[in-house]
Amino acid sequence: MTMKIGIDVGGTFTDFLFVKEGEDPKIFKTLSTPSDPSIAVMNGLKDIAASVDPDMALNDFVSQVDTIVHGTTVTTNATLTRRGAKSGLITTKGVRDALEMRRGIREEQYNNRYTNVEPLVERYLRIGVEGRLDRNGKEVDPLNLDDVRAAVKLFKKEDVKAVAICFMNSFANPEQEQAAADLVRKEMPEAYLTVSSDLLPSIRFYERVSSTALNTYIGPILDHYLNQLQDRLKEAGFGGLLLIMQSNGGVMSPDVAREKAALTLLSGPAAGPGAGLVYAQAHGEDKCIVTDMGGTSFEAALVVDGPIMVNEGEIDRHRIALPMLGIHTIGAGGGSVGWIDEGGLLRMGPESAGADPGPACYQKGGAKPATTDANVILGYLNPGFFAGGKMSLDVDASRKAVEEHVAKPLGLTIEEAAAGMYRVACNNMAQGVREVTIKRGFDPREFPMIVAGGAGPIHSCTICEELEAPFQIVPRASSILCAVGMLMSDLKHDFVRTYVSPLVGADWSTLGKIIGDMKGEGAKLLTEERIAEDQREYFIKFDCRYLKQFHEVSFVVPADAFDAKDEQAIAEAFHAEHNRLYGYSLKGDETAPVEIINVRVQAVGQADKPNFAAEEYNGNDASHARKGERPVYVPEDNEFKTVSIFDGHDLKYGNHIEGPAMIESETTAIFVSGSFNCVVDKLGSYALYKKGREDLVAATLKGEG
Amino acid sequence: MSKVDPILLSVYARTFKSITDEMSMSVQMTTRSPILCEAKDFVTGLYDAEGNMLEQTENLPILAFSLAPVCKYIIEYYEGDFSPGDVIFHNDVFSLGNQNNDVAVFKPIFHEETLVGWAAVKGHQADIGGNVRGGYNPNATEVWQEALRIPPVKVYEGGKLKKDVWDLIFANIRLDIVSHDMRAQMGACTVGERRLQDVIKKYGLESYNAHKAALFEASRKMMEAELSQIPNGVYNGEGMIYFDGHNQGTEFTIRVEITVMDKSIKFDYSKTDAQTDGFVNGTFTSSASATILTLLQMVNPDIPHNEGMIKPMEIIIPEGTVLNASYPKATTFGNHLCPPNADAIIRALAPVIPDRVTAGWNNLLCSLTTGHDEEKGDDYVDIGFMGLKGGSGAMIGTDGYDHIGMIDASGGLLDQDYEMFEQTTPHLLTKHEFLEDSAGAGQWRGGLGVETEFVIGSEDTQLVTFGDGDFEAAFGLNGGEGSILNIIEMTYPDGTHVVPNNKDLIEGVPKGTVYHQIAGGGGGNGDPKKRDRELLKREVRNGIISEAMARDSYGL
Repeated sequence: MTMKIGIDVGGTFTDFLFVKEGEDPKIFKTLSTPSDPSIAVMNGLKDIAASVDPDMALNDFVSQVDTIVHGTTVTTNATLTRRGAKSGLITTKGVRDALEMRRGIREEQYNNRYTNVEPLVERYLRIGVEGRLDRNGKEVDPLNLDDVRAAVKLFKKEDVKAVAICFMNSFANPEQEQAAADLVRKEMPEAYLTVSSDLLPSIRFYERVSSTALNTYIGPILDHYLNQLQDRLKEAGFGGLLLIMQSNGGVMSPDVAREKAALTLLSGPAAGPGAGLVYAQAHGEDKCIVTDMGGTSFEAALVVDGPIMVNEGEIDRHRIALPMLGIHTIGAGGGSVGWIDEGGLLRMGPESAGADPGPACYQKGGAKPATTDANVILGYLNPGFFAGGKMSLDVDASRKAVEEHVAKPLGLTIEEAAAGMYRVACNNMAQGVREVTIKRGFDPREFPMIVAGGAGPIHSCTICEELEAPFQIVPRASSILCAVGMLMSDLKHDFVRTYVSPLVGADWSTLGKIIGDMKGEGAKLLTEERIAEDQREYFIKFDCRYLKQFHEVSFVVPADAFDAKDEQAIAEAFHAEHNRLYGYSLKGDETAPVEIINVRVQAVGQADKPNFAAEEYNGNDASHARKGERPVYVPEDNEFKTVSIFDGHDLKYGNHIEGPAMIESETTAIFVSGSFNCVVDKLGSYALYKKGREDLVAATLKGEG
Repeated sequence: MSKVDPILLSVYARTFKSITDEMSMSVQMTTRSPILCEAKDFVTGLYDAEGNMLEQTENLPILAFSLAPVCKYIIEYYEGDFSPGDVIFHNDVFSLGNQNNDVAVFKPIFHEETLVGWAAVKGHQADIGGNVRGGYNPNATEVWQEALRIPPVKVYEGGKLKKDVWDLIFANIRLDIVSHDMRAQMGACTVGERRLQDVIKKYGLESYNAHKAALFEASRKMMEAELSQIPNGVYNGEGMIYFDGHNQGTEFTIRVEITVMDKSIKFDYSKTDAQTDGFVNGTFTSSASATILTLLQMVNPDIPHNEGMIKPMEIIIPEGTVLNASYPKATTFGNHLCPPNADAIIRALAPVIPDRVTAGWNNLLCSLTTGHDEEKGDDYVDIGFMGLKGGSGAMIGTDGYDHIGMIDASGGLLDQDYEMFEQTTPHLLTKHEFLEDSAGAGQWRGGLGVETEFVIGSEDTQLVTFGDGDFEAAFGLNGGEGSILNIIEMTYPDGTHVVPNNKDLIEGVPKGTVYHQIAGGGGGNGDPKKRDRELLKREVRNGIISEAMARDSYGL
């Protein structure tokens, strides 16, 4: 009887999904404890222990738990609030400012008040040392160890806690970096050290130095947090496997996380997309759009077979070039504030009321109208049944805020103003979905949308109308999708090496050795993580471009094509991906040969995943779950209508509801708009389909899903 | 007339913006020339049936507002003779084009039978014919030595390719890549066309017409509110241009007279010096764009960029001046007259709106190296973006932005990555760092400039320079100090020291030559002695300001 727990630390709540073999998964939530997030983790574990039948003491319970998968945002928060470790950088003489210059970008071109972001390492702690490699990794000047010694001396004097090493062209030859690292390790044994050729041996100096500096800056923070967490768990008798969520959608052991702390920087929403796919698969789909609407942000990601990956991203305007899920985030959430700009246009966000003071209806001192206030006025949120009745909402406060800040300035009624806020918020979110679909060559109409986040299912019908997307799935665990995803995640380790060469005529023995080395590194980590050999897989990717292009395209190299050294088949895969992304390829154009820039390996260790059992078919009739009615705003008709309210807890597989209607459960409110109907699927998810498109859910309706 | 719904208005505004953004992404991803896909020297726009701008995504500010005048010209030129599927090309600087290399694609958009708008993309092409590959010809005196002129011409009519016209154009352009990139621009116009059609299908033509008018009105009001904060009056300012590429020691003065009257502003350049003999001449559109972008940096940056925004502005640039050359003068350098034009405007308005203007920005001085990479067996071209980017001027309350580049790009143009630079050229980069003391001192200092040094790795290398800022440095304001001059110089292996003119072409630069460049910082603002002492000490420790300068200029 295995027990697994997924734990997702958020800004307001820490979410838990508890899965015990043979039982329905259970959702728990506790208030987060930002000063030491592991306290909330232990509080939640206590709640879970008390809930099992018969209830257990914390230690008895925790000692029986097999696996805990944990997502943490301590590194993210440390970066955003500038509370990382005091860091030093040793780099090549002449280029120490690349980190601060960020290639000379100013993101807001017309705004002369817009200032550069503070560098992670202050300039006097960025030391250029003699020693130079050429573009092929050949030594032009030997490393001057006296320069390194001088840097170390300064770092010690300045009480530097963490050191980054990043030299020009080290992707092609790590020797000089390693020599400098040996000296630093010897002289500063306590310091956290990141060597760029260990973290990210790939070309592009700015990306590498920025990623290395980020890892250095937050490494000691994560180390400290993991110590706290592991100590508390050990004290409680935990002897199972602890795994940490990464930005690439996979998990890793705490020891790997300590070395490559930057892998956790964008891990907050990374568990969601993989979980979303499970719910789409219940309808025979192998692709979906996963959206998650929280208090301050809205996230959208695309899943095609697996979640779409990107090779770089940004945090607080710092570049990070580690593979991660391609999740697009916009400032639109329940707390987004509505305001009127100087031209008289209604805008929503990006300012957010957050959780504190929160929307006006929270009665915590917030006076500005937020999306949640509009939802209260429009009848989507039940003031007496918010968070399952744990919190009551003040409708009058919402009305007053909307009246003062939106309705009066626009000359609208309060209801019209709230409807406007709702509509503009939905429009913003629809544009966010466009970012991950249309801009990457996919048509959003062809994807089911998985809707997560407490407030997501109130808006999803209108978002889907905007995108003309006919199908959405709201999982039962919609409000804690990331915690679900953590239990669905495999162990994933990404490796990259730069190898610049024409594809046709590449040196296959070198390529074979590079890839063999990366697989070896992956195997070593997976062994440490106790993954059996038959549970391991390796995927090869190349980053290629047409000669003289500026951007590479990353694509999967079919294993058999690589083994057969089939350059043509690999070129085909590149042309196809280029065509899909950009609408054309230069296949057959002899002036545009294909050039390899990077080769990548992802080592995957299969984790045991909980099975979600199918429910028993209960027929289409949903009348048993109807608990009342109330007026809500129906956007299609632009008016309030009295609609049926259903209790989500009583809805079963096959039950069918015609829109417009509301479905309420403890953690989620769902608005089925006038254009959609809803049927509960075999996993208990709410499948919302456009009226007239019964074909999308034919099997589910008949209980044959 | 359909009633304006204040909520729908917001939806229209957001949707128009997302359309031009999507067109922009399409261009960036599908073009091959680095000046398009890397430097993003292009603009995408949507216009109504009369050519009024609904929205644009400009990437580089100098291109903002460079399409709308042409759109109106085209509508007039064809007297309304358009059908669905038409595609029109244009670059001609004597019919409101801004620069020869910037070739525009226009596509009319129809809803059922009615012309409802235009999608357009203008991008800087890698070649446009003329005497010199790439288009920068310092020796040119007439337009034909610079470029193939393309007055409005339909390359597709009713969806059918006019093969003869197409071939005529591309028979006069050196590089195949240009026809690929023009196809990419056409593709982006199709993206814009489809999405605007979808919008009108959804909300109806009447609603579209009513709401776009309301959007223009909203932007106009926002702009008027900003202008009404500038005291009424007439203000004069000057900016200097040094060297026309032909006659050593030449100087030209841009003179602007700005009249602010309640909610309107007029820029009159009538007293500006006459045009030059060479290619250092503006076109009306490039100069007006420079004027607009400089003003936009002085107002609320959130005003939607549409037709309404420019309604309260009037710009007079007489033909025959250095900012609006008469036919058939050479004009390729025209976009780079933005910095001195901005100087003139800033100097005029600094006394009346001191907290809205910056001190002077570093002017552009750029170089391009071309040659043969022996090891790779291939030719290379490199535009020295990283070396050219100096600092911006300080504002009261805000330091200048370090290493941002000239005002016409305002941080939109990025450095080459160092390691990619060494992969794509045979050069070895030895230095690219902030330059100590390069920023003008002030209570708020200018943005820092940079120093760049590399060893040239090919024999018989060609170096082209273009720019300015080596005679006059960025100026300070309100007691803030000016900055330092731009420098490009080379030391050959035999010790020969070469300092090119600021518009020059040097052949036969030998391998092993050390190339050295300084891009100056921006001007300072306010009395340096009042600069925050703690900040100053930190800057000294960080090697941004030397102890000597801290003592002499800042009084530390």
